[in-house]
Amino acid sequence: MDQFRRIQTGKKGDVHLVLFKDKKILDDTVLDEIRTEMTQLIGKASGPDVLLDFSNVEFMSSAMLGLLGQLHRKISSGHGRLKMCGIRPEILTVFKITNLDKLFSIHKDAPTALPTFT
Amino acid sequence: MADESDGPAPPPTTGVDVVIAEDSRIQARMLQRRLTEAGHTVRWGETGAQALALVKERRPAIIVSDIEMPEMTGYEFCAAVKNDPALRTVPFILLSTLSDPIDIIRGLDSGADNYVTKPYEPDYLLARMNALLETPLEAADDVAAAMLEVTLAGQKFRVKAGRQQVLNLLVSTFENAVSKNQELVVANQELSVARDGLQKSNEELSALNAEISRINAHMVRDLKAAAKVQQSLLPADDVEIPGTRLAWKYVPCQSLAGDFLNAFRLDDEHAGLYVVDVSGHGVPSSLMAVTVGRFLSPKVSDSSLLVRQGSDGRITVSSPAEVTTQLNKLFQADEFSGLYFTILYGVLHLPTGRFDYCSGGHPALVRLPAGGGDVELHVTESFPVAFVPDVEYTQKTLQLVPGDRLFLYSDGVPEAMDKDRNPYGDDAMAACIAASRAAPIEVGVASLLEAVETWCQPNGPLDDVSILAVEWRP
Repeated sequence: MDQFRRIQTGKKGDVHLVLFKDKKILDDTVLDEIRTEMTQLIGKASGPDVLLDFSNVEFMSSAMLGLLGQLHRKISSGHGRLKMCGIRPEILTVFKITNLDKLFSIHKDAPTALPTFT
Repeated sequence: MADESDGPAPPPTTGVDVVIAEDSRIQARMLQRRLTEAGHTVRWGETGAQALALVKERRPAIIVSDIEMPEMTGYEFCAAVKNDPALRTVPFILLSTLSDPIDIIRGLDSGADNYVTKPYEPDYLLARMNALLETPLEAADDVAAAMLEVTLAGQKFRVKAGRQQVLNLLVSTFENAVSKNQELVVANQELSVARDGLQKSNEELSALNAEISRINAHMVRDLKAAAKVQQSLLPADDVEIPGTRLAWKYVPCQSLAGDFLNAFRLDDEHAGLYVVDVSGHGVPSSLMAVTVGRFLSPKVSDSSLLVRQGSDGRITVSSPAEVTTQLNKLFQADEFSGLYFTILYGVLHLPTGRFDYCSGGHPALVRLPAGGGDVELHVTESFPVAFVPDVEYTQKTLQLVPGDRLFLYSDGVPEAMDKDRNPYGDDAMAACIAASRAAPIEVGVASLLEAVETWCQPNGPLDDVSILAVEWRP
């Protein structure tokens, strides 16, 4: 059963897997819904490990980076770890310009990212 | 037997033998069921002829007949019954649509005793049947039957009808009219109620519309006011910095933008330049832009980060790295909105052409060298402001030569997308800037904006576009 509109969630060991369903994360309302759903998901867990999977995402607004920053702060302060994977080269450029590829832990795909949590 | 002749006979309202003539099986079935429920015995003829055969086979207590039927119509069937001395006194009810006054004449002529107009309520028909069964037709009445002459719609009709029959028909026609009138009154009342409801809804809608218009007007006014505040973040129309030429373009994609830019003198020897791009668009982003702008004022104040006045009255210009680091500290609190911004802030030393600048996650600074060399893109890898706490931003320095131009811009320039979502790109931007080398700086800025807008056809830019350029000419 899937309780969320924008994200598909699962669990592998202690790691929360979050797959963004949208191809485009450009709209403010989409962003707000993702924010709400992520808060619902992470709010329950203490110090969660979270892997965000971007493989569906083709376009992303710069405001999404702000949301990732919020998540990063929130998860780090709870001694959890936030990692990302499946980011297309075009979108990765945005991470590079803003130096955020150094702030965030970014991996190729879920199978390569998951072992890094152990 | 003696009992019967002594007292009045009980009204034969239930359990009588009824013949119905009806060519529609469904109608016949429904009528039959209703009459059976009322305790009557029903025999059904599908045509007038069949029904007549049933009547002749055994005399029924009453006959109910449709009019439009094949083989023998209801009128013909009725006339056949009424012309038979043995059957004449059997009450005959015609089910008529009464769409034409001539129907009444035809009914009279055929000798029908009563009309029920279709569509009818079964209870109404039963009441009519009971009324006829309670007042048996006088066999003697036919003595009084005479030829009557009636003029209707300019036509003369000669009809043969008994008094009792005429009276019955008159009463049934009147009752029909009363019944139809009652239906009309009820329908009228319902309409009236519906109309009142509609009117009330209409009034509520009008009130809501007025409210929406009022709120909308209010919001438009607020937006205009906010846009005006934003305009105040842009360079003054008459801004002139000795030893430089300035040009800028600013095109917000909505009425309120997240971008803003400015150029100004900080003191006798220094000029400040910046482009800021707050993430997102609309009201939240523009509010943050205005707040950030307050800290980037060239005038000495409590909030300005750019210049400070010492206790001796001397003004010191803050370094770009200091300013950016300080901004990052101030805006860390913004946990809820998730908003952040990128900035490129530079201080030009007017006598020497030394340009110190600091980037917070901002696109590259572009230099167009005076001597004719390639366009330079100076990239700084750094975090956007309000993103990561406690970052110490560092600054870089470019030594300008007279005639050098610097271009500051928001990501709305290189990331402008065409209809297939291809970005305009750094290379096209650099080429466009290089192409305007020989033209005045205003032309350089204008042609870059034009190139971006052309790239985005037909939809236009989806992001704010800001361009600020300065040429050093000591």
